[in-house]
Amino acid sequence: MSPAISLTAIGLVVVATIGIGLFGLRISRTTSDFYVASRAVSPRWNASAISGEYLSAASFLGVAGLVLVNGADMLWFSVGYTVGYLMLLVLVAAPLRRSGAYTLPDFAETRFESPVVRRICAGLVVGIGTLYLLPQLHGAGLAVQTVTGAPPQVGAMIVAVIVVINVAAGGMRSITFVQAFQYWLKLTALATPIFVILLAWHQPVGVLDSLHGAAAEWAEPLSRAGGRDHPLYATYSLLLALCFGTMGLPHVLVRFYTNPDGRAARRTTVVVLALLGLFYLFPPMYAVLGRTFAPDLVGAGGDTVVLELPGRVFPGTTGDLLGALVAAGAFAAFLSTSSGLTVAIAGVIDQDLLRSRLHRWTGGDYVAVNSFRIAALIAMIVPYLAFTVTGALSLADTVGLAFALAASTFCPLLVLGIWWRRMSTTGAAAGLVVGGIAASAAALVNVAGAPEGGWPRALVGQPAAWTMPLAFLTVIVVSKLTPHRIPAGTARSMVRLHTPEAVDVDRGLPSR
Amino acid sequence: MSDMRDSDLTSYRDVQLSPDFSELRRRFRRFVFPMTALFLVWYFVYVLLADYAHGFMSQKVGGNITVALLFGLGQFVSTFAITMIYVRWADRRIDPDAEKLRHQIEGEPQ
Repeated sequence: MSPAISLTAIGLVVVATIGIGLFGLRISRTTSDFYVASRAVSPRWNASAISGEYLSAASFLGVAGLVLVNGADMLWFSVGYTVGYLMLLVLVAAPLRRSGAYTLPDFAETRFESPVVRRICAGLVVGIGTLYLLPQLHGAGLAVQTVTGAPPQVGAMIVAVIVVINVAAGGMRSITFVQAFQYWLKLTALATPIFVILLAWHQPVGVLDSLHGAAAEWAEPLSRAGGRDHPLYATYSLLLALCFGTMGLPHVLVRFYTNPDGRAARRTTVVVLALLGLFYLFPPMYAVLGRTFAPDLVGAGGDTVVLELPGRVFPGTTGDLLGALVAAGAFAAFLSTSSGLTVAIAGVIDQDLLRSRLHRWTGGDYVAVNSFRIAALIAMIVPYLAFTVTGALSLADTVGLAFALAASTFCPLLVLGIWWRRMSTTGAAAGLVVGGIAASAAALVNVAGAPEGGWPRALVGQPAAWTMPLAFLTVIVVSKLTPHRIPAGTARSMVRLHTPEAVDVDRGLPSR
Repeated sequence: MSDMRDSDLTSYRDVQLSPDFSELRRRFRRFVFPMTALFLVWYFVYVLLADYAHGFMSQKVGGNITVALLFGLGQFVSTFAITMIYVRWADRRIDPDAEKLRHQIEGEPQ
């Protein structure tokens, strides 16, 4: 692999990202621009942006790696990533838009009238975001290491610095343009090498044939090819986490506010599903080809298969050029997801932790936008520090834990909060705390070093199947026990959540 | 100010208790909850089949294309189909009634 060509390609992505970000800066002026791009992004742009932001290191590198190592079971990752959007659309997207809240903590506060629930939510947004940023930084480190041999800290540092600059400069509006551009870049980068490989081959069927034989077991679902115990439990748990976790991801939810109305939000989701489905055709092909051309990567965890495959198939200039394209696409993945997450986390840190303190310390001598910029810096420093102290977990596994945490906390809060009138404030807080502690304990154990094998490993590795029902149960039982703590304004909230947006009811929107 | 809040609250409660509002909510729930359950069952059954019906899933349909592979692709296709069905349903059955409710609420004297 030639470092010079790949570094040039990565450099171009970085320049384009900053360039488009600065272009967006000129049109983002108000606080509303910063957070939700003034709710004026067309469905097609918005769908590209949502897909661009959603396809992270886990999708670009991780899925192919997991399928390469563990076999066809891992295709559930790509199905689950897609179905999560459907759940979000039918269960929470429209009511949440109508609530008028910008962020999850905003929703929690208006629905439950409690600053305590709000603060728990703010903490969870930061927790989920950090858990999701961690694999992006690991992926960046891995990519730069594969291309140049430099230590992983270099790649992670590059991504961290660029994201903070871009987010601090432009907020959501510029990020929308950057994300849309990056979806198409990622798709091109992932698809082109596959097409070139298939064209170069006169008989592409030969590749599939080579699978039968030594790798036949690998191609069968739930085969335990990767040495994972209890594959049925693990697969169900993973599916649950992905289906119900997407709605609780801070960077995903905020995107639905950037549509002008609910109808546009539905249109956007259809386009998103098509774009995601198209993208996910390719990672399994890398895994299949990887089994033939780079079987040695199986032992190394497989996360670099996408980056290394072109060079393995075509030693020489063609391989170098295709490798550079893939490296550039991978960087687009790290940058876009990290940017979206950083905007979401920074928004929460700014509103809930920083602004009032900053106001007090500086005696009112500050500008709101500056507080957001400082928050963006903090939002990236925390995961960067975590990155330097944690070992490398598989990329898609770490992301799976972020989904499990979201499914065990925000999913019950949103689904029950929107649909169940008798949910009490105490119930909401108890569910968040119990689900949050259970899922993050599982995540911490995983990051620190998972148990050897058997049930403990399966339960800790894929916690959603027990942590999510536990959280739902906690909310329901505690709410039944504390009927006097049902928020007084529940009737008002329900009307607000379920009447169409065109109706002029007070949605508690900040003045625009 | 507090008087306004009180009268606001009453009108919210009125809307909440109005038959049109409950009907809108009920219709939404009657469609969306069963549909959600149905498609979750479909995904989970696929996993079960993959685990316990190996023979069926590894039947070859033609060349190297197995039943499992077709079903796997079918997951993406069905996700897309469900989304289209939901969007059409929401456009046809929810939006017009929501519009009607809007006229009712806004037509009411304050």
